Formats: sequence, C-alpha cells, structure tokens
Amino acid sequence: MSAPGTPSPSADVVLEVKDLKKHFPIRKGLFSSVVGHVQAVDGVSFSIRRGEALCLVGESGCGKSTVARTIARLEEPTAGSIVLNGTDISALGEGEIRPYRRQMQMIFQDPYSSLNPRLTAGEIVSEPLTNFGLAMGSDLQARVASLFERVGLRADAMAKYPHEFSGGQRQRLGIARALAVSPQLILADEPLSALDVSVQAQVLNLLIDLQDELQLGYLFVSHDLAVVEHIGHRIAVMYLGRIVEIADNASLFDTPLHPYTEALLAAAPVPEVQRTKRERIILTGDVPSPSAPPSGCRFHTRCPYVRPECSRIDPPLVEVAPGHHVACLLRPGPSAGHAAP
Amino acid sequence: MAALDKTPSGAARADNTEPILSVRDLRTQFFTSDGVVRAVDGVSFDLHRSETLCIVGESGCGKSVTALSILGLIPREIGRVVGGSIRFDGMELTKLDEGEMRRIRGNRISMIFQEPMSSLNPVYTVGFQIAETLRIHQGLSNKAAAERAIEMLALVRIADARRRAGEYPHQLSGGMRQRVMIAIALACNPQVLIADEPTTALDVTIQAQILELMVELKERLGTAIVLITHDLGVVAEVAERVIVMYAGRTAEEATVSELLDNPQHPYTRGLIGSIPRRSTPGARKTTRTRLQEIRGIVPSLREEIPGCAFAPRCSIATERCTSQRPPLETHGPRHSAACWETAPSSALTATSPRS
Amino acid sequence: MAIVAEPLPAPASTRQQSGTMRWVRRHKTIVVGLVILAALFIVAVAAPWLAGDPLQFEPTNRLKKPSGEFWFGTDQFGRDVYSRVVHGARISLIVGLCVAALATFLGLVIGVLCGYYRRIDGIVMRFMDGMMSIPAILLAIALITLMKASLFIVIVAITIPEIPRVVRLVRSVVLSVRARPFIDAAIASGTRNSVIMIRHILPNTAAPLIVQATYVCASAILTEAGLSFLGAGTPPEIPSWGNVISLGRTFFQIAPWIIFFPGLCLAITVLAINLVGDGLRDMLDPRIARRM
Repeated sequence: MSAPGTPSPSADVVLEVKDLKKHFPIRKGLFSSVVGHVQAVDGVSFSIRRGEALCLVGESGCGKSTVARTIARLEEPTAGSIVLNGTDISALGEGEIRPYRRQMQMIFQDPYSSLNPRLTAGEIVSEPLTNFGLAMGSDLQARVASLFERVGLRADAMAKYPHEFSGGQRQRLGIARALAVSPQLILADEPLSALDVSVQAQVLNLLIDLQDELQLGYLFVSHDLAVVEHIGHRIAVMYLGRIVEIADNASLFDTPLHPYTEALLAAAPVPEVQRTKRERIILTGDVPSPSAPPSGCRFHTRCPYVRPECSRIDPPLVEVAPGHHVACLLRPGPSAGHAAP
Repeated sequence: MAALDKTPSGAARADNTEPILSVRDLRTQFFTSDGVVRAVDGVSFDLHRSETLCIVGESGCGKSVTALSILGLIPREIGRVVGGSIRFDGMELTKLDEGEMRRIRGNRISMIFQEPMSSLNPVYTVGFQIAETLRIHQGLSNKAAAERAIEMLALVRIADARRRAGEYPHQLSGGMRQRVMIAIALACNPQVLIADEPTTALDVTIQAQILELMVELKERLGTAIVLITHDLGVVAEVAERVIVMYAGRTAEEATVSELLDNPQHPYTRGLIGSIPRRSTPGARKTTRTRLQEIRGIVPSLREEIPGCAFAPRCSIATERCTSQRPPLETHGPRHSAACWETAPSSALTATSPRS
Repeated sequence: MAIVAEPLPAPASTRQQSGTMRWVRRHKTIVVGLVILAALFIVAVAAPWLAGDPLQFEPTNRLKKPSGEFWFGTDQFGRDVYSRVVHGARISLIVGLCVAALATFLGLVIGVLCGYYRRIDGIVMRFMDGMMSIPAILLAIALITLMKASLFIVIVAITIPEIPRVVRLVRSVVLSVRARPFIDAAIASGTRNSVIMIRHILPNTAAPLIVQATYVCASAILTEAGLSFLGAGTPPEIPSWGNVISLGRTFFQIAPWIIFFPGLCLAITVLAINLVGDGLRDMLDPRIARRM
C-alpha cells in the first residue's frame, strides 16, 4: 500500500514520510513533570518525487511548520519514518544525520533572523560547502559567486553583511545557501510570508525556475492559498496536526472535498472586484488547542455539516478519486474502504 | 498648509457633503543620526461619513505613519509632522495640544493595531479595559461603564460576553482579542476608526470573521473607517475607495472597482500583476506560469526624490519621470493617479503597455 | 507648523572629523573613564620613576602633613604616602585585570558548554548557584587562610567567587542565541557543533562579556582592598591601597591624609571603570543604540 498522495510509487521518490508524529511535552511545576502533550503533528504521511512541489497549507498551529522542521531533524520525531532517498533518517543520531543533510536543505521564513548578522553574505553561502568539504580557496569563491548569480544577486555583494540587503535579497541569500550543496529536496518553511507583495513575486518566480531547472523536490509550507495554487503540484491541507485532504492542484482547488478545505478556500480574500456578493462559508469559533484535540473528527467543533457520529468516529484518510485523499465521514467516495495507513 | 486648494484630492467625489476627515499635503519626517527620513511626503485625502477608505502599500510606504500622524502619535523625540493640515470635523488637528488631542483620541477617532496582544494590558480584565475608555471619555459611572462594556462585547459577537468580560487578554484567542480591540475602539462611538493591518496577524478563517464584523458594524454605527493594509484581497473585500501609497506619496486614488479593473499607475499595475491569482475552475492552466515582477527595490527615503519615486523601477519611465514629480491628475470620475506617462494629458497614453 | 530644528548634515569634506567628534560627544562616559584609566595605567607602570621607595622608614618624618616634600603626607613610620599610593596602583590594576581576565575566560568556557549542552547544564548550574550563595569576601578569606598569603593566592581567591556571575550571563546569552533561527539554519546546512559554537555563538557573547568584565574588574579591586584592609589580603610588605588604609585607620583622627588619598584613588578608579562599563553597555546594546 502506497502512502496517500503517491499516484505510482517509483524510483524517483525523494522523500517518503509515514505516520510522522511529533508531540511536545508540556512541563509544569518544580520538577518539570510532564502534564500533557501538544500533539503538533499526529500521524502525517506523504511522499515527494523529483521535480515535484508538495504544499502543506493550514492555519497557524496546525503543525505544518513542525512537519518541515521534523523532517529536517531540527526536532526529534516522536514516531514514524522519514525516508530520504531510500534511507530512514528518523532514528539517526545527531552525528549520523550530518551526511544526509547534503540531500535536503531548508529555506526559512524570516530572512532577517535566519542569517547570522555577523557573517558576510559570502561566508553565509559558503558555509554549507565548507561543512561538507566540497570546495576550498578560489574554487569556493568561484562556486559562491556562481550561486549568487544563480539567485539573482551580484557576485560583488559577497563582502556585504545581511543588514545591507533588502528583505527579498536576504531571502535570495537563504535560497543560495540552500542550493550550495546541490540537494535533491528543499524544505521551504513559509519562505514568502515575511516579504512584501512585489518581492514575493520575485522570490516565487525564482523558486519555480530553480525547481524546473534542477528538478528539485519541494516541501513548501504556506498559509497562503493563492501562492500554494501557483507553485504546488500537489496540496496537502492540515488541521490540528493531521492531513485532512491531499490531492493534486486541480482536484483540490476545483473540487475540494473536506469541509475545512472548502472553508479555507472561501475565506481567502481575492483581489478582484466582487460584482456579486460572494457565497462564503465563514467558520465560527477558533481552532481548538492541539494539547486537547476534539474527539472523533478534529474539525467537528467548527464544521458547518457536522453530524452526531462525527464526534465519535475519527475518519481515516481515504482515497476517493485517483490521488485524491480526504478524511471526512461525509465523503465516502467511490473507493471507500481503501483506508490509508 | 498652503496646499489646500492645489491638490485635486478626494478624486472628484460624486457627493458634496463635507468630509469628516480631510488630510492635505501631509508631510511627516523622522530625524535619525543618518539624516532625515521623509516617511510621509505630501499625502492628501478626504474621508466621508460612514465610508471605508483603504490605504494600501508595501512596508515602509508611509501608510502607518500617516495614521499615526492623524492621531498625533508620532514619538516626539524622533519625528514630527512638518507640514500640511489634518482637518477633523472642523478642527485643525496639527494645531491641537496634547491634552486636546487626548480628548479626541480613543473617543472621536479610534485606532486598532495589528497585534492586539501588545495593545491590551495583560494585568486587567478585558471588561475593565473597555469600561476604562468609557469612564475617561464619557464620564460614565463604574457600574454603567461595566454594563456598557458587556454590551460592547456582545456587539462584537463574543459569545457569553458577561463571563468573557471578567477574563484577562491571555485567556482569549487572537481573533477574540482583536474583537476586544474593536469593542474598545468603538466603545465611545467614534466618528472615525483607523485600523492598521487589523487582520494581518490572524488566520484566514479568523480574518474573514473580523472583516465581516467590521463591515457590519460600520453600516450599523455609521463610523467612517480608514483601513491600512498591504493585502489587495482585503481591499477588494471591504473598501469603497482606495489610496495606493508608494515611498511616502500617493500613487493612485480610486474607487475599489476602478482601481482593480482599470489601474492607471504603473506601480498599481505591477502590484496587482505580482499577486498569484486563484484561477477559475475550468480555466485552469496546465503548466505553472511566472508572475509579473516589479524589478528592483523601494528607494531610500533618506534622499530627496526629485521626480517620481517609482521611476527607477518603472518600465515606462522617461527622462521627465526622474526629474519632475508628477502631480495627482484626474483620470476619470473618482479616479486620479500621479504618473506622467499614463495621465490623460500625456500623448503616450495610447501606447502605454497593458490595459 | 513646526520647523526642522536638526542641523543639516555636514558636507562630505568635514564628515570624517565630525564623525569622530560625534562619537566622543555621544559616548562621553567612555571617554572620561578611559582618560582616567589611562592616566592610572601610566602612573602604575612608571611608579619607580615617579615616586621614591614606598618601604623606606624615616622615623624623623612621622605623621607629616601633605606638603611640597611629601605630597600626600607621611604615615606613622614616616613612609611617604604618595609613594605608597603610586605603588599601590600597580597592585590594584594587576588584581583587577587578572581577575577580570581569569573570571571571564573560565566563565565563558563553562557558560558556553552549559548553554549548548543541556545535559551538563543542570549539574553545573546547581553548583554555581551554591557558590553564589556564599559571600565572596568570606570565600576569599577562607581560601587565603588555608594558604600562604601571596598576590597570586589573592587573585585566585577573588576570581573564584566571580566566576558564577559570568557563567550565568554567558549561559543566558548562549541560550537566547541558540533559539535564533540562524542557528537552526546552520544545523540544517550540516554545520558541526564545534563550528556552530565558535562561529555563530561565541561572537554574540562578546559584547555583554566585555561589559561584565569591567564590572568584575571594579569589583575585584574593591574586594582586594577589602581583604587587605581586613589583613587577609596582599601581604604587608607590598603596599596596596587596602593595607595602606588599614594601617592608617588607627591614626585617622590626627593624620586623616593616610586614609584620604588611597581612598580617593580607589573611589576614582572604580568610578572610572564603571563609567567605561556603562558606556560600553549603552554602545554595544543594540536596543539602546537604536534609540539613537
């Protein structure tokens, strides 16, 4: 049985995540005893192929960034497997993981705080290369210069410090650093959300160009549906630590099946003149706390179509159309019963 | 101050009623050790009763400083309103002293900010904080103010208002805190509400709730709203009229439908073009396309910009654009833009790219 | 409307000079402190040439008032107080600088390790908490009484109680730097722990550490004087401000100058060091610096 959202398992799968969990302990009191867990990520499975962009969307606190950080092993996974190019890296120790970091690199949300203010731009971009002993001396300089040019920065900006760059240029530096070791997988954690609209377009174009040219796999974490629709080949919608729907771009945006996906699409404001009053579902209430998720379907407290059984039965992620998985009791779909692991 | 009649602001309005708030040639500067920053450099607009005006622009374009200038909240040690006039209901706000300003602020002109947590005091209950505004500005008794605070919480549709009034800010979610901020802002029934990125820190589903609430309350209470945002999606959702700001200046002013359907300023066009669009079902593109970019970066506000501030990034800029500052020219009813090349009087209008 | 009161930016030709002047004007405390310390340093180095033998007894000159011959007067053995104060400056500076350097270095090493490796953190920090609960001067007296009095032992005895304060500071800086996204970025791009510590974390501790070092230095000078005054510090054959004051206290009523001059020097020195420390803190703290 393949992971949900993998149309055909093939050799060019870069990343396969199965049943990934990340629970953060809540500690209290004098002896820091564990009084509960925040179930930030609670059983997430997906795979990414070469040249494919899988987008994780959801609201703040849904665990989408934690998924990326756990795959990058900046957080220790609680359970599940992370298979990178055929090797399960989920249980590797701190030292053992280092060589695998060449295969996956991360782009961070905040281009201001993710660059060390005391290093020059050239030093920042060359660090991954020296870490893996890939280049030295003049060769290093030449490679860094070509990376600068590749992301649209002038090579003579290498001697400048991060604060001398604008937000968009800093994010280009972050991208150059990620590309330095020629990874196959890029984990991009909200790479556009700290940028201005006109700069977002520049960076988004750069990311798309790079992917098409280098056949990179992207895990693209974002809260912005318009951006996701623009860059994503496949989209996974997360709610309270779970994937509630995963499908290819067209299926998800044309025929959203989960009520939460529907509500997200309806809530996103669109920069177009509204000639008719838009039909919109406005969800009531707030996202429940991930330390005490609701019983049954986690969305049932806010769902406009809620039924009594929703609070009892936890719906599995089911393939309802080829490549289109949804976790909702109301959508049995044609191939019901083909529950994903 | 002398510019009262020169600037064709208000974009040739259809109605002739007196505006509640009228800003003319506002100039606000900050004085840093590295020189003078011209944060707002000649902005004019009118706001009418129960109207929603959006000020759009990217970070550093002066939209928030404009709001702070109106409320007299520019920190005195670092900056000042150096020119122009702000008329509110027959008063010249730039001439008022701090005590007189305090009587207007929070009472007749209110403001809500992006991050509700930082504008709420963590050691007082939200009910107390709403009641305090009422006691100060309306002279209500403790009991009457507390009752009115609960009414306000119910008005902003907080369920179980009586219990919530006794809670502290950290006990509420982000969306609920922003509702409380709106309740505080509207408590004294202000004539103008200035909202600076009120939904930027919120999730889309919560943003939709808050925007809907603001529009509904505006219609019910007749408050005029100045909404400051960077998000053209939010603009399309709530605005009636829009001002696009760039580098401290007004680039374009129009009704929301005019602006989105028929943008005149190259910056506005670029801004709209650079937003990824949700495609309509059926008309889906099979391959990913590149977005339209605005090349380059925003200019430094430390140097005086003699011509059009957008000229270095503009694809249709000419020599005149870099040397002479374009005036805000009327492009049609309730539509004006500050651009030499797209102005109706310009001979090049017909050849301007993109329609 | 209000008119801009700020002077226009200086023309480019005079900018270099006005830049230095502006720095001096903005950091007055540092400049004043440094000038005093520089003078003190010169006096300490040049002591043998500036003053006579501080140990020379001259019974005929006992308890002389300050005069042209004896600028600061003489003590009960007829020794020149000026000469003793000038030579005492050496001891104070040596103790202050050595303690600051030792405590800072040891505190830095322990602090960085504690902040980065959470496993050793708990044990080491509880030990440091224990050390901090013992008054510094008592710990020093205990150490000195256990061993033969010498300048080296004095320095060691003063250094040990200063270490926990530096450790706490360094550890808190390391913890806050560790939480910053560029450390995540360094880990994600495969940087080794040792490189992260030296390249990304250490430079960030420099500014608060320099400031703390000045306070340690001032506090060490005071502690040394206190120890010597109690007779537990610098051996009596070496003149230090503390033991000069100690010896002079019995004659305070008839010869106040014996106490007055070393006391004044002590106060001015500590004040100057603290002025430099405060000035550096204001200059290096970006939160204050940004407020221009």
